[in-house]
Amino acid sequence: MKIQTTRFGEVEVEDTRVLNFPKGLLGFPKYQDYVLIESGDQSRPNEESNFWWLQSIDLPELAFVVTDPTLFVSTYKVPIHPEQMLGLGLSSIDDAQVFVIVNKRGNVLTGNLQGPLVINVASRCGEQLVLSDRRFTTRVPLIELHQEAPTAMSA
Amino acid sequence: MLVLSRQRDETIMIGDEVEITVVDIRGDKVRLGINAPRTIQVHRKEVYEAIQRENAEAANVQLDDINGLDQHIKRKQRPA
Repeated sequence: MKIQTTRFGEVEVEDTRVLNFPKGLLGFPKYQDYVLIESGDQSRPNEESNFWWLQSIDLPELAFVVTDPTLFVSTYKVPIHPEQMLGLGLSSIDDAQVFVIVNKRGNVLTGNLQGPLVINVASRCGEQLVLSDRRFTTRVPLIELHQEAPTAMSA
Repeated sequence: MLVLSRQRDETIMIGDEVEITVVDIRGDKVRLGINAPRTIQVHRKEVYEAIQRENAEAANVQLDDINGLDQHIKRKQRPA
């Protein structure tokens, strides 16, 4: 199927790659179907990405940067209760993949570790969970970006 | 909104499965005990609102904001 996106133009995606979030994401309950698009440099297709875009199928401008939080916070674990596993249709915890949504404030990328996305990779069904663990906030710094040296300076 | 008066140790039921008990009242602070099945998530509303706000802000991130980052991170991971 072809989808329209603001950031990538028209994108062809296989129907089997669609991720369904039956409850949407918090604050975006109406948008339930997404695809993951690699953020990697298109000129280096063999490079593995650390970031992906979670792109809405229905709203071209709606896309979130997501990443694997354990790349940055090795101690991060998302507790999933048996009842939540049922809700996600998870028969094994090995089918659960966790992403967090990335935001940029100033020159720091932050991750929302309090509201992780848990995806059942077998059924491609996902949910944004809310953790009560106060160690993990909505704005955990992941990486500091180095500003390009200014090419002009004021005289 | 339904408004009910309750005293300490009194409970209200929501449906058949959710119980909310006033555990303690001190000044302007009320401590509530909540019994609910695990399928029902119970959180302070501020936490939900913080995640909603963060989602809304994160939806504004553009391509340029993370361009070239994958290489950047690889450099960091790979010892020089």
